[in-house]
Amino acid sequence: MSHTPFTDSPVVTTTVRLLSPFVLTFGLFTMFHGTTSVGGGFQGGVVAAAMVITVAFALGFAPTANWIDARALGALVASGVVVFGVVALAGLAFGGAFLQLDVLPIPNATVYATEAIEVGIGATVGAVIVVLFVRIGEGNTETTETVSADSARPPHGSDASEEARGE
Amino acid sequence: MSVLLALLVAVPLLAAVLPLFLAPWNRRVARGVVLAALLAQIALAGGLAWRVLTGGATTYVIGAIPASFGIGLAGDRLTAVLVVLVALAGLGAYLVGGIDRGPAGSLWLLLVAGLTGVVVTADVFNLYVFLEISGLAAYALVASARDVDAAVAAFTYLLVGTVGATLYLLGVGYVFVATGTLAMADIAVALPTVGYDSTLVIAGFVLMAVGLSVKLALFPLHSWKPAAYASAPPAVAAMLAALGSTVAGYALLRLTYGVFGVAFLGAVPTVQVLLVVGGLVSVVAGGVLALRATDVRRLLAYSSVSQFGLFAVGLALATPLAVAGALVTLVGHAVAKGGLFVAAGALARAGDLRTLDDYAGLGRRAPVVAGAIALLGTSLVGLPPTVGFAGKYLLALGGLEQGSALGLLSAGIVVLSTLLSLAYVGRLVERLYLGSPPGATPTESESATDRREGADAATDGGVSPSADGGVSDTDADASQAGGDDGVDPISPATPALVVLVVAAVLVLALGLGSSALTDWLAPVVEGWL
Repeated sequence: MSHTPFTDSPVVTTTVRLLSPFVLTFGLFTMFHGTTSVGGGFQGGVVAAAMVITVAFALGFAPTANWIDARALGALVASGVVVFGVVALAGLAFGGAFLQLDVLPIPNATVYATEAIEVGIGATVGAVIVVLFVRIGEGNTETTETVSADSARPPHGSDASEEARGE
Repeated sequence: MSVLLALLVAVPLLAAVLPLFLAPWNRRVARGVVLAALLAQIALAGGLAWRVLTGGATTYVIGAIPASFGIGLAGDRLTAVLVVLVALAGLGAYLVGGIDRGPAGSLWLLLVAGLTGVVVTADVFNLYVFLEISGLAAYALVASARDVDAAVAAFTYLLVGTVGATLYLLGVGYVFVATGTLAMADIAVALPTVGYDSTLVIAGFVLMAVGLSVKLALFPLHSWKPAAYASAPPAVAAMLAALGSTVAGYALLRLTYGVFGVAFLGAVPTVQVLLVVGGLVSVVAGGVLALRATDVRRLLAYSSVSQFGLFAVGLALATPLAVAGALVTLVGHAVAKGGLFVAAGALARAGDLRTLDDYAGLGRRAPVVAGAIALLGTSLVGLPPTVGFAGKYLLALGGLEQGSALGLLSAGIVVLSTLLSLAYVGRLVERLYLGSPPGATPTESESATDRREGADAATDGGVSPSADGGVSDTDADASQAGGDDGVDPISPATPALVVLVVAAVLVLALGLGSSALTDWLAPVVEGWL
């Protein structure tokens, strides 16, 4: 019941299937470009999250929500703060100031540390948008589930539909 | 250069990640993490105070980028006091309990980080960022009470607070256009060359001041406060009452004297007049509204509006005495109001007591809480030996010393505020000690035992005809313990009691040691004026 796509059009589903890896790649590309040109974590995160939302619209909300692991999503939400903190404290640890990037013992330290922060921000932004989308959509699926449960009510044995409504 | 300044913000900010994930798995562990972070914050704050005591004021730049381009942090004696206050209130209010559900622990640490950030930052834009961090955490925490009132109050708070912060940011933009920098120290140097009376600078100051006044809840920008404080969970209400407006007040003070400087006030006298008038209106309106309130937490919130009016007056006067008075008022009010909200929250949780009538006769039912409320209320009124008296005394003296019409008006405002606060605190204390407990008030008309108990209520000189009004809506299970005059004691949770007693002791200690506090703050005030 939940695996019915939102749309019956094979054109839409096929297009989304084809495009989504490219959209995700473009999101990463945008994130990594934050240091040198237009782009950055916020924009890239939004593009990546837009991919997830597009998939959800094309292939059905419930399977998409099930496909996303809630714990992984939570970890992504926290990752931005954690990465920022780690980079900041690493600056301290290597004898510089808080958030001083050029003391880190990696080549091109400022650029790569900034990239790390950008990716962390991107993960947080994307994950937060997906969480918001899932939370808003949950209300939607609940109503559709109860509706479908009501419409597909077996003639005898109202227990099953009661349970479905309870969920 | 003291890295403590950066850690003071970074530690709670990073620790805030943990409770979010620990709370669904194990609430106790999440609570432990929050407590550990709050204790670490107290240690860091103490370290900063020690550093300031031994080595004088300290600064720090994030990422070794010069403060004029990057973010500077600054810690002086005033900062140290406020940071310690934030850390202590953060722990004390958290101990009141009731906020370990879901992400509340994370939000709590974010609130602590944001408030600390506002205090230590030396950059006007960064101040906006921390205002928003603490603001957003506060809105969510108010909403975490999970009922309709809290949702509405939090949404109102969100709208009003965001408008306030945006006005502040607009002001920052104006000042940036005028001076080309965002670092407080650089703005202070650049402003005279721009000209204090240039339209840009005045508009910038007014926007920033009005924006912060929203957070300060000066009348008529106070409308979010009573609802938010009355419907928030007890711990959140205590935290916001102690720190929310206090930190905004500190920011306004820092902005007025540390960035724009006393010369700006001299060049634009209208600002002073407006601040004093705003303070006067706040004192009167807050006091009158507090007099009309029936819900105790609303009464206390309106009282805050009144007290911050007093603070605005002290801020406007620009004499060392008055500014010291404003600072003492700020610190003293934070301790007293935080303690009162801890008491109100504890009573609401222990016996569902919320209105003034519910408080009738608490002097016998919960003697410790009632005594603490009376003492903290005394500080709000400003009677010796509490810290409230010290603040008001300095304010009045500062006003009289200045001798101008404005100064005399300010001294008058102090007296007026004392009268008003005496009236509304008097209402509360009178209920506590002279009202008869709802359980003991007669429900049937006349009998011999009722006469004996009614004698208590008759001693209050008929001040409150409404003492019996709370009978109808009290709990039906007011168990009549046989020979106990029908008075069932109320026992709030122990942590809340401890925090309450500490607050009461602090109010007395700060009052008796107010000269030490003013001496401690004197270098900062002298540096400003």
